[in-house]
Amino acid sequence: MGLISKLAWRNIFRQKRRTILTVLTMTGGFVLSSLSIGWMDGSYSGMILFFTNHQTGQVQVHKDGYLDNPSIYDTIDNYNSVGERISNQDNVRSWAPRIYVGALLASRDPGVSDGIYSNSAAAAVIGIDPVMEENATAFSEQIIEGEMLTVSEADSSLRATGQILLGKQLAVMLNASVGDSLVLFSQAADGSGADRKYAVRGIVSTGSNEVDRTTCYLTLADTQLLFALENRVHEIAVMTTSLREVDKVAAEISLATDSLGLSTASWKVFAKEFYAGMKADETQLKIMLAIIIGVAALGVLNTILMMVLERRREFGVMKAIGTKPKSIVRMIVLEANVMGLVSVLLGGVLSTIGLLILSKHGMILDPPLDYGGFVFREMVASITPACYWIPSLSVMITSSVVSLIPALKAAHTDAAKSLRTV
Amino acid sequence: MSNNKNVIETRGLKKTYEDGGVPVEAVRGIDFTLTKGEFTAIIGPSGSGKTTFLNLMAGLDSPTDGEVELSGNLISKMSGKELSNYRRDHIGFIFQAYNLFPVLTVEENVEYIMLLQGIHKKERHERVMQILEQVELENFAHRLPSKLSGGQQQRVAVARAMVSRPALVIADEPTANLDSKTSGDLLDMMKKLNEETGMTFLFSTHDEIVMKRARKVVTIRDGLLFKSEEEK
Ligand SMILES: Nc1ncnc2c1ncn2[C@@H]1O[C@H](COP(=O)(O)OP(=O)(O)OP(=O)(O)O)[C@@H](O)[C@H]1O
Ligand SMILES: [Mg+2]
Repeated sequence: MGLISKLAWRNIFRQKRRTILTVLTMTGGFVLSSLSIGWMDGSYSGMILFFTNHQTGQVQVHKDGYLDNPSIYDTIDNYNSVGERISNQDNVRSWAPRIYVGALLASRDPGVSDGIYSNSAAAAVIGIDPVMEENATAFSEQIIEGEMLTVSEADSSLRATGQILLGKQLAVMLNASVGDSLVLFSQAADGSGADRKYAVRGIVSTGSNEVDRTTCYLTLADTQLLFALENRVHEIAVMTTSLREVDKVAAEISLATDSLGLSTASWKVFAKEFYAGMKADETQLKIMLAIIIGVAALGVLNTILMMVLERRREFGVMKAIGTKPKSIVRMIVLEANVMGLVSVLLGGVLSTIGLLILSKHGMILDPPLDYGGFVFREMVASITPACYWIPSLSVMITSSVVSLIPALKAAHTDAAKSLRTV
Repeated sequence: MSNNKNVIETRGLKKTYEDGGVPVEAVRGIDFTLTKGEFTAIIGPSGSGKTTFLNLMAGLDSPTDGEVELSGNLISKMSGKELSNYRRDHIGFIFQAYNLFPVLTVEENVEYIMLLQGIHKKERHERVMQILEQVELENFAHRLPSKLSGGQQQRVAVARAMVSRPALVIADEPTANLDSKTSGDLLDMMKKLNEETGMTFLFSTHDEIVMKRARKVVTIRDGLLFKSEEEK
């Protein structure tokens, strides 16, 4: 061990109280930063996973322009062959075709079997392929009453009663429960009237009140027939194998489907409000981290300044007998770095414990957090490399930067002057 | 330098401090020569300029005017780095308040300057043990300074100042913190080392006990040096 490292090392044990305080300050900064990052990452990946997995998919394909200005006519034709192309890409888990149209629903009060349809509500109609949708979003998990739609030969006469699922609040508005019948009125893509009688097969709760108040679900085949959209859909939702692959998958799908006049978007684009909110929160996190680090840095600066002031005379002696200023700088920065390193190790252990607890026992959100129409009931932390490398780097850089000013001050001690003051 | 045996020489050495805009002439033009092997005391009332004069010769302070020359080195021409090397290689310091490094053992304190000089480990060790024997502290090599008496600490300081064999050992009131018995013993030891090694010593003092042991005594008053008293 060199002379300077030896001095630095022993000086650390000189004022144990102060060393412990300094180490704890930096450890505190480490742990706070680490937990914030883990919490943030965990919350967001949880939210993103939840709402992309259960509703939107991570990537969506539409007709060019559909996302900005949805229209019943902007369809993906031959959707099966498009879906085929999509599922041939790497990291694609599944895909689901969807049709979005609008309609008026009317129901009659229960018990009045032949009465007039006195309750009505406007609704967004989503046509889904029961098998593919189940595969992609585990749709049936959202059915709180009744059952999932079944795949049946589309009744081309449209005379028999069809199957419909109603959003929870929509069912309330229509005063309809499972088994009740209602009538759907709309206009098909070819301009003809689209009316049909339906029996409520199930009630859906997506977690978003907004969605559940306005949405009903029909089978894809049924919707295509009723709205004259044979072999056409408005959207293909794609599930990827991992969130991290989303951008890559989107790019590949885009490449594979570009020539068809289709456009591909990842959740960052089609849920841009959510994404923007997340980015804003990330900025907030960065500001918070900066504040945490700043506060810790001030604490460390304070103790090191105090130390330098106390040891002024010693630095004077060091200089008097021929020690170079840069050696004094090295010694003090080294002292801070060793304390920083101890803080990183200690902080790493404590953060891991904290993160493990927060990732196992998340925070139950009561009332649930409604985030851009999606509701989250529990938040958990996730343990990512960023939980470690960002705080580690911050502590080491902070300890160097913050000790540099006192170190320079110490190195410029006027030996003659400091020796005069007894 | 005219005489080869001269260790250090000052010519017209002046130092004026600024004290709140008021100039304080601490050293007002001193011509002084030390020859090799001298054991000389500087005496003078408080504030007469002893410390200032020693600091100028030690390269700790820069003169306002005049020159210090040590084995051909002109202090006024030196950069900060050169001054640092000058102090390391040519001057041994003994301070009033011992000023040992509290985290280093006796041996490590004595070794310190040789580490700065990059002297090899084996030689360092030999020289440390030799000088510790000379100051009769060979059994205290691994102690920390805080576990030593004042007199013992100052003997470590003497060993530290001498171990690198500087041209000049400067001691500013080395006995001011010691009782008279210990002061006498310390001075006897320094004098013995001076005789054995031929190293040159220059120290300031207020102390009768110290003055009596000096081989030559010079007086400073109001920043001016008065004619040397005769050698004993
Ligand atoms: N940094 C400084 N700024 C202003 N004046 C100073 C400074 N250092 C010393 N002086 C003044 O210079 C003069 C000489 O001081 P110096 O310390 O050399 O005296 P001294 O003989 O060593 O005194 P003592 O016996 O008390 O140690 C004094 O008047 C002192 O006040
Ligand atoms: Mg003095």
